[in-house]
Amino acid sequence: MASSHGNTHSEAAKMEQIITEFYAKSLHIILESRTPYMSSRNYSGEQALSSPSSSSSSSSSVRPRDKWFNLALRECPAALENLDLWRQSSLEPMVVDVVLVQRPLVSYPVDCSPKGDLARNFSLKERYPYCWNYEQEDFWCEAKSEKIIERWVLQYDTRKARDTKSGSRRLSNSTLYKKSILLLRSLYVTVRLLPAYKIYRDLNSSGQILPFTLAHRVASFAEPFTCREDEEMQQFEFTPVDTACGRLCLSVLYCSSLSDVSSEPSTPMSPQVIPDYVGSPLADPLKRFPSLPVTGSLSRAIPSSIPFSRRHSWSYDHGTDSPPSVSFSPSPTHSEPHASISNPRSRHFPPTSLPRHLSGTSLDHKKDTGFYEYCPSPGFSPALSPSASPSLPISIPGNHLSKNMLRSESAPVSAPVAKCAKSPASSHKLNFPPSPPLISTRAGTFKTDKTTVGTSVEKLFSFGKGETRQCSGLKISSNSSPQISLSRSSTRSFPDDFDESEYPYPFDYDDDVTDPGSRPESFDQTGGLFPIKISQDAAVGALVRMLKKAPPLRQEISDSVSLSHACRPEIWNNSKPEAILSSESQAPLQHAGSSSVISSGLITSKTTADALEELRGYRDMKNSLLASGKSHM
Amino acid sequence: MSCEVCQLKELEVEHFEIREVLRCILHTIVFNRALGLVRPKDVDLELFEITYVQCGDLELEKKIDEKIEQFISWVEKHPNKKSQVCLSFFEVKNKQGSWFTNKTERQKYWEQWYINLNVAQNPKAHSTKSHHSKVVVDPGESASEERVARRAALEATLHEVLFQIVKFVNEKKDHVPPIPNLEGVVSFPYEITIPSSSDSVFGMDMIKRMLQTGHPTMLS
Repeated sequence: MASSHGNTHSEAAKMEQIITEFYAKSLHIILESRTPYMSSRNYSGEQALSSPSSSSSSSSSVRPRDKWFNLALRECPAALENLDLWRQSSLEPMVVDVVLVQRPLVSYPVDCSPKGDLARNFSLKERYPYCWNYEQEDFWCEAKSEKIIERWVLQYDTRKARDTKSGSRRLSNSTLYKKSILLLRSLYVTVRLLPAYKIYRDLNSSGQILPFTLAHRVASFAEPFTCREDEEMQQFEFTPVDTACGRLCLSVLYCSSLSDVSSEPSTPMSPQVIPDYVGSPLADPLKRFPSLPVTGSLSRAIPSSIPFSRRHSWSYDHGTDSPPSVSFSPSPTHSEPHASISNPRSRHFPPTSLPRHLSGTSLDHKKDTGFYEYCPSPGFSPALSPSASPSLPISIPGNHLSKNMLRSESAPVSAPVAKCAKSPASSHKLNFPPSPPLISTRAGTFKTDKTTVGTSVEKLFSFGKGETRQCSGLKISSNSSPQISLSRSSTRSFPDDFDESEYPYPFDYDDDVTDPGSRPESFDQTGGLFPIKISQDAAVGALVRMLKKAPPLRQEISDSVSLSHACRPEIWNNSKPEAILSSESQAPLQHAGSSSVISSGLITSKTTADALEELRGYRDMKNSLLASGKSHM
Repeated sequence: MSCEVCQLKELEVEHFEIREVLRCILHTIVFNRALGLVRPKDVDLELFEITYVQCGDLELEKKIDEKIEQFISWVEKHPNKKSQVCLSFFEVKNKQGSWFTNKTERQKYWEQWYINLNVAQNPKAHSTKSHHSKVVVDPGESASEERVARRAALEATLHEVLFQIVKFVNEKKDHVPPIPNLEGVVSFPYEITIPSSSDSVFGMDMIKRMLQTGHPTMLS
């Protein structure tokens, strides 16, 4: 590795190779810690197995790749998929966008997003980067929000090098290599210091079902950020590494305000998570109540009890189904004041979600809000915090909210119904704020409930049925069981009913999404959920499983999935299936169904038969859970 | 090659936090200077929402832990003091010693990191490490709020320090010696110095260390 001076092609070739490998390694480092379940963190031992075929296909074998820059990394199919592009043209800049995707709870964290709901938005965006905003608006209804939280830019700048360097001082390849190693070491550390890593870590922590996931996009150009985005971003520039005829420049723009999202997930998982989910369904009923009959002060008590749920709740909001929460707020008297106050925040939230479900007009509103507005992370945070919760309902509206509210107001009767329908799937906590009035009547029950979520939920249901018969009657009756309302599926079912009623648009959407078969399943699941709640840890585990399982159904829904890039599907498939499998007890229920769905890709839709099979599985679970629950009781 | 020195921002720590903080910092530095084949190992701190990187080298881990234990015992003997831990990287030169150097081998320091700690007085037994559920700790007491705030501040500072390391490592590359053709994760010899128990005044230790280390130009 002597000085490069008189050296011929060999030196130049070596240098080029180093640069190329530098690209590859950088990408690998970045994606390895941004692609859920791909990193060694939790699956170091299993990586080999998990690594998708694509990765194996890649030219580089593990060993040689590890030796580059003396940095042995875990398998990261996502990186490998994108590497070939740059091996061919190493001089092009490489832009890696890390995208935070918020989705409704219904969809499972990692798995679902790619194929199903996410797939739509995502694929579209990716394919038509320039149309990004459009895509988001249109698909917003599905309740997914995307936000670029990190942008890594790696480029080989030949011009700068000439400027800086005098010809006399040339860098040998050995120096280049050494400095590259140093840079990559610091990159490796930095990637873990940035806020996005917390999200990644949360996503990978076992047993958590999170309303968001991370995705990435690798391109040779960067879509310009909006002013808002720019304001949110901080930059960190790595010191460039000079080469004989240029310099390697690596920098990152990152969103420093992810604390909201990340913090929530970071919260203790075990007990909290379950309650939330349980609570969410419950919350929905509550919400319904408030909207309709009761306007009490109970809400406060409830929220406090359900702090955790809020996290989820916001996720719901983001989710396609979730929109209801927003809508709820408007309908009640409470909503209006809040809306005015919270409007700014509302933008951050997935306002679109509301509109769609609630009203077709919502789309217009969505358009108004740029995708960046969704950058929810800040906005969401308030929702998470209990105090903020009240504001949340309002927040969603913003301009949109106002419309929604107007709508809801105009048709008071319909509004409650809509709420009911929405409530289950949508946001638990968000709903709560509005619900408080309702809560007051129920307050006693809730308080007790708080300790035991399951019971509270049941109560809520009962309430919902009795009090809000309109809503409950429609949806619940359809389900035949109160429990159904809780399940996300229930939300879907509601939409259908509602379609005819006052909120056709949302329903239309839902209809597309939900399969007929899926609904029944969901109901069963929900039924299972209640018992689970009653029971204990086991129940929780079961719930988690159920939740995870549920997504496949939705996946079917999304037609747009097909659009998804080739790369992503692979990534998702790889990562997600693993994640699912890894997750504790999913195996039985999810069984082939979920995994197969994922692998098959977004495009493939489930058949009724599949749904029935899944349903059976759920029923079995439910029965077992009930049995166990009884024993516990 | 000159010896680059990095003074890291002072950290206000409580006694029970010393171990994690030092581990985090020392491993992060060494990882950035370990140019051998590394299989990075991510480690989540228990007290803080921070993930740092280890080289995955058992020997290194052991050495660092030993030094930390020594440091902690020193702190116990010398409460209420600001203290420093120094991590130095050096090269071993086999040159013939200069006239006042006895050894044929001599250490040539090319980089030194000073970790500055201010150990808080109340080493309230907090041995049970709460798993980053800071809020959960003693919810009722106002003291707990203080603690939470203090912990958050420390976490922020620790984060700053880690970024300081990253920036330093990025900016200073020229002084790093060529990669030795050695097998092993940590390619450069290093040493971790803590205030010695005999030194009542830390300043003395500093001077002593300076003499030991010697500036390259001084010795040659």
